[in-house]
This record gives sequence, C-alpha cells and structure tokens, in this order.
Amino acid sequence: MTSTSSPSRKALSKIACNRLQKELVEWQVSPPAGFKHKVTDNLQRWVVEVVGAPGTLYASETYQLQVDFPEHYPMEAPQVIFLHPAPLHPHIYSNGHICLDILYDSWSPAMTVSSVCISILSMLSSSTVKQRPADNDRYVKNCRNGRSPKETRWWFHDDKV
Amino acid sequence: MKRDAGEADGDLSDAAPASSPLRKKPAAEAERQPLPEMVETSNSSANANIVDAVDYEWSCFADDDRMQQPSSIAEDEAAKKPLIGDKEPLSALAEEYQSGSPILLEKIKLLGEQYVALRRARGDGNCFFRCFMFSYLEHILETQDKVEVDRITAKVEECRATLQNLGYTDFTFEDFFSVFLEQLESVSRGACTSASHELLLETSRDQSTSDYVVMFFRFVTAGEIQRRTEFFEPFIVGLSNSTVNQFCKTSVEPMGEESDHVHIIALSDALGVPIRVVYLDRSSCDTGSLSVNHHDFIPDLDTQKEISQSSGSDIGNFSKPFITLLYRPGHYDILYSK
Repeated sequence: MTSTSSPSRKALSKIACNRLQKELVEWQVSPPAGFKHKVTDNLQRWVVEVVGAPGTLYASETYQLQVDFPEHYPMEAPQVIFLHPAPLHPHIYSNGHICLDILYDSWSPAMTVSSVCISILSMLSSSTVKQRPADNDRYVKNCRNGRSPKETRWWFHDDKV
Repeated sequence: MKRDAGEADGDLSDAAPASSPLRKKPAAEAERQPLPEMVETSNSSANANIVDAVDYEWSCFADDDRMQQPSSIAEDEAAKKPLIGDKEPLSALAEEYQSGSPILLEKIKLLGEQYVALRRARGDGNCFFRCFMFSYLEHILETQDKVEVDRITAKVEECRATLQNLGYTDFTFEDFFSVFLEQLESVSRGACTSASHELLLETSRDQSTSDYVVMFFRFVTAGEIQRRTEFFEPFIVGLSNSTVNQFCKTSVEPMGEESDHVHIIALSDALGVPIRVVYLDRSSCDTGSLSVNHHDFIPDLDTQKEISQSSGSDIGNFSKPFITLLYRPGHYDILYSK
C-alpha cells in the first residue's frame, strides 16, 4: 500500500495519544480547505487526500499524504510523505519524500497536522514548473532500503517555490 | 571535556548544534518573498536539495556543507552529558582553562569573589531555557516563597491568554503549560529536603519532563515577542532580518534553537522574573583593570509594579536577580552566589 516501509514504530506515548485525539477532533470540526482525512482506526498513521488549488499547476489533481506519528509527537516531527504517485514538483522526490524545513529541523510542537498540510499545499501552489528535483535519481537510489526522510540531512537552500 | 589552550575561549563544543549552518540557513535567507497565496504558517518553509547523511559525498559539497560534520560530533558529545549537571565548585571552571587565556583565568578569579559554584547544562541549544527552569524551580524549592508562586501562577495564566489572543490553538500549548504548573506545584509543596532536591534534579534530567518545560518557556517567549511586536521588531530585524512572526516560527518555537538577548528579555518580561547574565569572554579594556561584565534583565515597569505590590517591596528592588547565568560564547550554565 505504501511506497516506503514503515519507520521503526513505537506506540504513541500517552501524551502523544491525547494530543492526536484533540487534533483529530479539531480536524473533524474544521478541516483545512482542500484536504480530506481518510478515516481509519489508526491514530498513528493518517492518510490525507489533498486536491490541488484552483488556478495552480495542480488544479483539481488529487494526491495522498501519509502522516506517521512518532512515539514522542509533538516533541518530534511527524513523518510526512506523498503516496505514489507523488506530484511532480521541484521539491518533491519521486519516492514521495518532501523537502520542507518544517518537517525536519524547523518542526515545532506549536505546529499541527493541519498547519503542516496547509504549508504543503502552499508549496504546491507556488510552483511554476512541474518537474522533479535535480538530484532526484541519486536521492531516490540512496533511499532504496526504505529509509525515512527524517534520516536525510536536508539542505534548505531555496524557499521561492 | 578537556579543552586545549588555544580553543578554550571560543570552544563551542558546549554550544548547541543549532549553530550549524544547516539550521541557520533558512532563517538567514533575507530575500525570501512569500507569494500572495502563501499562508502565514508557510512563511518559514524552505525547500532544498539534499545532503545525504549516509552516503556522504564530500567532493560534491562546498566548505559550508563540511561544517556540518563537526557539529554532529558535538551533538554526540552533548548527548553524553546530563541535561542538568551536578553543582560544581567554581574551581572546576578554572581547571577547564588551566593552560588557557590568562585573561579568562583572571576573570574566573574575579568571579570567585561573588560566586561559589556552577551547574552545567547540556549544550543542546536549549541550555538557556533549561538553566532558567532549574534555577527558578530550585529557588522556589529553597525559599518556599508562596507569594512568588501565586504571582507567577497568575503570570502563567496571562501568558496563556496571550497565546489564545494570538490565535494559537489551545491543544498546541496546554500540555506544556500543565507540565510546568505541575513542576511548580511539586517544588512548592513543602520543605526543601535533600529528597525533594534530588527529585527536582531527577525531573530536570528526565528528557520528557525537562523538554516539556523548555517548550513551555519557548511558547511563553514566542507569545511575549508577538504580543509586543513593535518593541521587539527592531531587535529581530537586526538579528535575523526576518519578520517577528518568522523569527518566532524559526528561532523560538523549534526545540534546539539557541537563545539570544531577545529571548531572554521576552521570557523575563513575560514571567516577571529578573535574570542576571555574567559574561565570561576574553574581552578586556585598555586601562588594564579587568572586570567581569554582567547584564541584569529586569522585567518591564508594569511587571515591576505588580511585583512590588504583591510583595510589598519598592519598585527597583531588583538589584540582585535570584537567577544568575554564566554565559560563554554559545552557551549558558547556572552560577551560584556566595
């Protein structure tokens, strides 16, 4: 079902579980525009459908985000990837990994699944060209063993897109 | 950790890994131009190519990238130290600089006139907040000052309201507030015994509890900065050339981001707790007489009034903050007065 294997997963801590339940309720009350949470009984892995915003290169295209929560969420960032097929975008690799600082070094517990989704949609919307990152092949090859994008040492150089 | 003579002063092995170019890069990019459709939360987003951690290809990267290597070694080193160390005599500081700069040794001697001990914090980018946490809770434990406990409890509720007014969702910060209030309750519950002191050390060293309190302070700091945007803006523009909101998103709220004067001012003001920072560096003045500089961060006047009303003391009675931190470039530890 997924393009990468699961990260080594430990059950959610109690505090993480409580927090996620609150996020889920909040999401159900007011989901971010353009997103649909595919309801499962798995609190630790959310699959979220995203529809490209009107007037952008991805208008009315539908993609799926997989959000995996670590044991110590929200102190630790969730792992967010696109399920196959990932949108063609200069910062999205063909294996679904997304180069966005808030998913890694700049994550903070003040963020939520909802705010992360909005940032990803914004990243899609601001793209002016549908293409893979220049180093796509090398990177994807290196990830073949199913490594999590959170183990990648990302180098954020450009935030125009 | 042993230090060599030449590097004693500028040795950043204690400093947070957050100072690595990797971390600072997104924040430093001033020419960022948010697109009209970008929502506020995405202002901090930066995208990139990749430096692969496992199959590191040295030849591909410029000097800037190589700088990341030492910082990850520093991270490993840091992880071996406790989040909060044991109390050490000030002589431990002198030993560190045995064959180091004579200016530093002289300054440490001067420090000895006012301070007796230090307590180190792990250099993980959270050292300022962690030192503040321990120092504050230890003060409450030792003084059992109920007036101060009531005062700060009220302040914490103000900080909660600030975040709500700024549009933060309750569930993003309430757990962190609860953990701090639990810790406060725990140290103000009774007499200061060796057991209660041991318990404070234990919880301060417990990664989860300790990090939750650090994050509580990060929320409080970010809230105060955004509540008084006009006041903080000039500092922030000078420091990072980003907007106040971006600064909070990239340099205050994420764990591991080092603290600057802005953070200290904001936290001290928000909670109404004065903080003294003593600077240990190689600076000296031409006249030849050495002195150790310090700066007192005194909460703004409104807060002072509140404090003096509740404690019955005069405004300006802040000559000696009860929290004293030792600053060496890139790192904070706790100092103990005589």
